[in-house]
Amino acid sequence: MGAIEKQRNILDFTLSSLGRRKGKNIALVVVYTFVIFLLASVLFFTHSLKKEASLILQDAPEMTVQRLLAGRQDLIPTHYIDTIRQIRGVQSVAPRLWGYYYDAMSGANYTLMVNAELNDRAGEIIIGNGVSMRSMSGIGNQALRKNDIIPFKTYDGSVLTLKVRGLLPFASELVTADLILVSEADFRTLFSIANDQATDLVLNVRNAKELSTIAAKITQIHPDTRPILREEILRTYDAVFDWRGGVIFMVLSGVFFAFIILAWDKATGLSAEEKREIGILKAIGWETSDILLMKFWEGSAVSIAAFFMGIFLAYLHIFLASSILFEPVLKGWSVLYPSFRLTPYISVYQIATLFFLTVIPYTVVTIVPSWRSATIDPDSVMRM
Amino acid sequence: MIFHPGILALLLGSALTTSMLCYSAYEGVRIIRNWDISSGSERQLELERRTYLVSTVMSYVLGFQLLSLFLFIYTADTLSPLFIGAMCAAGSLNVNGFGYSALVLKIVGCLLAGLWLVVNFTDNKAYDYPLIRKKYWLLLFITPFLIAETSVQAGYLLGLKPNIITSCCGTLFSADAKTVMSDLLALPLSLSESAFFLSTPITIVSGLYVYFKTKGAYLFSIASFIHFFISIAALISFISIYFYELPTHHCPFCILHPEYGYVGYPMYLAILVSAVSGLGTGIINPFRNIASLCNVIPRIQKRFALISILSNSVFALIVVYGILFSNLSMAAY
Amino acid sequence: MIRLQNVRKVFNADKSNEFVAIEGVNLSIDSHGATVLKGPSGSGKTTLLSILGCMARPTSGRIMLKEREITSLPERFLTEVRRETFGIVFQQFNLIKGITALENVMLPAYPNGEKHASLKKRAMDLLDLLNLTGKAFSKVEWLSGGEAQRIAIARALINNPAIIIADEPTAHLDTRLSREFMEIMRQLKKEGKTLLIASHDPIVYDSTVIDRIVEMRDGKIESSGDVP
Ligand SMILES: Nc1ncnc2c1ncn2[C@@H]1O[C@H](COP(=O)(O)OP(=O)(O)O)[C@@H](O)[C@H]1O
Ligand SMILES: [Mg+2]
Repeated sequence: MGAIEKQRNILDFTLSSLGRRKGKNIALVVVYTFVIFLLASVLFFTHSLKKEASLILQDAPEMTVQRLLAGRQDLIPTHYIDTIRQIRGVQSVAPRLWGYYYDAMSGANYTLMVNAELNDRAGEIIIGNGVSMRSMSGIGNQALRKNDIIPFKTYDGSVLTLKVRGLLPFASELVTADLILVSEADFRTLFSIANDQATDLVLNVRNAKELSTIAAKITQIHPDTRPILREEILRTYDAVFDWRGGVIFMVLSGVFFAFIILAWDKATGLSAEEKREIGILKAIGWETSDILLMKFWEGSAVSIAAFFMGIFLAYLHIFLASSILFEPVLKGWSVLYPSFRLTPYISVYQIATLFFLTVIPYTVVTIVPSWRSATIDPDSVMRM
Repeated sequence: MIFHPGILALLLGSALTTSMLCYSAYEGVRIIRNWDISSGSERQLELERRTYLVSTVMSYVLGFQLLSLFLFIYTADTLSPLFIGAMCAAGSLNVNGFGYSALVLKIVGCLLAGLWLVVNFTDNKAYDYPLIRKKYWLLLFITPFLIAETSVQAGYLLGLKPNIITSCCGTLFSADAKTVMSDLLALPLSLSESAFFLSTPITIVSGLYVYFKTKGAYLFSIASFIHFFISIAALISFISIYFYELPTHHCPFCILHPEYGYVGYPMYLAILVSAVSGLGTGIINPFRNIASLCNVIPRIQKRFALISILSNSVFALIVVYGILFSNLSMAAY
Repeated sequence: MIRLQNVRKVFNADKSNEFVAIEGVNLSIDSHGATVLKGPSGSGKTTLLSILGCMARPTSGRIMLKEREITSLPERFLTEVRRETFGIVFQQFNLIKGITALENVMLPAYPNGEKHASLKKRAMDLLDLLNLTGKAFSKVEWLSGGEAQRIAIARALINNPAIIIADEPTAHLDTRLSREFMEIMRQLKKEGKTLLIASHDPIVYDSTVIDRIVEMRDGKIESSGDVP
């Protein structure tokens, strides 16, 4: 097939030409790679967070019931449990106690949660990885270990010391990082919460399809409550993460435009040597479409090289180097940055999105300059 | 609006594609008005150079359009968890009135861009460019479609809000709904099956006739056109259920999912390629008597007929494979 | 073989710097002969050569190549005609730097879609013919003037053209190399090629290879006559 041989010949020549002009192309490829690296990192990172969150929420209760007082969440009386349990379809109802604790010494916010396993072990806590790294005891930068004693300030300013019983396992670090598990008694002492009150109620239902009916019934019986479905949380999470990713994309668009201008500049600013070469090729029998083909291969080679290097580096960055560049920006819900590892996850869709956001604009920008250089008069070399 | 990378990508991609096309249309107007091949004036030489730019742009437009069609479906798929009741693209596209119109316009855009390239390819084989004005009129005809596609897609994507309640493939593509779809699905399965297994050989045989006799291009073209719709209908009404192995699941999008080995992609691609090559054979047929084209067109028609035969065969083979190896129990029917 | 009728070439038409480079040229070039375009610098030799060689289209007038009208052939087809019919040797050699002599010779045939191996063999044969076998894999910037000239000739021959066009081929060569060049031309003429050379170098137009001299001045043909 002549057509294939022709493509091959032209491709061969294009690649060797690229090699001959390394200097010019390396700068472009480096910047191109960097832009793809940044965008890919954002994409991989938000996507993994989303995945992680949905994994965690899988184990979350199907429905949570909160009490609202004057439009704000308030403690819920535990006797609500009895009436809710009566509703047909409800399998189980349980109270939960949890909250946030601000530690002035480390400047961090911790999530405190009551765990039933600690109930007959008052005075002990189990801490997440991030908590252990962040020394609360003021012993310098040394990580907390088993049997260390941590002082907590209670609601009235007095000090309650609790002993570290152990560390939480590594698995879903993102959420457990800032977590401290305490016993019910200690929690109530710390925040002075009466015995007949809880933070919220969690329930399981027999049939997921009845969730909304049950939710409606609960608000009917207790008009001061707000049932929250797991589905809704998942949706909100998704939207929030997408939104964050989108915002970062907008921030990065500055970098992106700088790159586009560079690409345009490189494509327009043909050196005299390159112009002469194209002129020679045309004079010795290459046609405009052959030069366009050569330019197409040239652009493809540059794009493919930058695209794969960028994706590869982003992969290393996000999944092996713990996203060092982004953590402070994107997570934001805690001052703790555990060096957590996201589960590697890349989809064709992410690659396609990246392609649209980078390669297509690059290609569009280079079309006109390529065409301009391809339409040099073939007789122009006779006058050089 | 939902700030989603996929949405940004689609908006950016189609804005770029459409602006390139508008620029080409502008060049088209200049060419229609000033083209004079017998002249050696600098203006004519310049116009000839512009035709290279437009050809290049249009090749990219087709490529981007095709990618964007699949990215669009994929994005709708990915966004489905944000909408109540949506399980796949079928539900997300139904979130507002623009979703399905955008999809249809995108498909039309692909077909039109493909046909333009067929005409352009033909014209570029003749030393006097006999179709030059016609093809730039065609370009001016195509441009509004792509502008509409960009606007409707933007209307759809910008109008998306989380938590909208929608209905998904389960109801949209079921015999109980009150839509064109439901009428289609209410037809007995055997009817769509026989229509598909009738129109496939008809299209292939008429293609073979074009290939060996270089005659019957219009017939082949019409057969391909009808086959395009029958293929899509068949995909929804019976092909899908063999792949899903569920007698009531008719979704045209779930088949693109990894669970089904991405088998939807080769199928849709085959449908599009066969439509463009079939229609392309017909669209150039009126010009076969032009002196500079009378040797060229039969060769091109042969080539497109071959492409169409191959893509139809690939599609049919995938379908037959799906039917033979499906664990679908038709007891329900 | 080539016939020009009333050919005119205008640069920068309708602008203040409009310039008529060629005016009212009628010329007929026969097969198998050697023709020289002779004239002072700026007389339009290069312009005429590029029109004859299908590298540029005239502003008006007609061109026939082997009884085929090619006047208003678009570039896409003109290039094909040029590639098949003409081999061109430039004043500056115009070789592409950074690649080998062999690749330079092969370049004009790339768009033909010939198999790489067979193309390479033909190129090697040509280099052999011009005593350049040893230089096939040298980068062109390391070649001497004479070698570069012969590489340029080999490149012009790779598509086996009927007509060889050369624009001031001896301008950068010393006397010995200029004579050597004319000897190669004699050889090519003997093989049946048609030669078309623009030059104001006596070594060229006084050479016994030349059959016909066309004198140009200010874009017009002053005289045209066979060498006695
Ligand atoms: N692209 C161009 N634009 C404007 N003037 C040109 C161009 N090319 C050639 N000329 C002019 O045409 C005239 C003839 O040039 P040329 O054919 O190169 O002459 P020669 O080869 O005999 O020296 C010169 O005066 C030159 O300046
Ligand atoms: Mg000159």
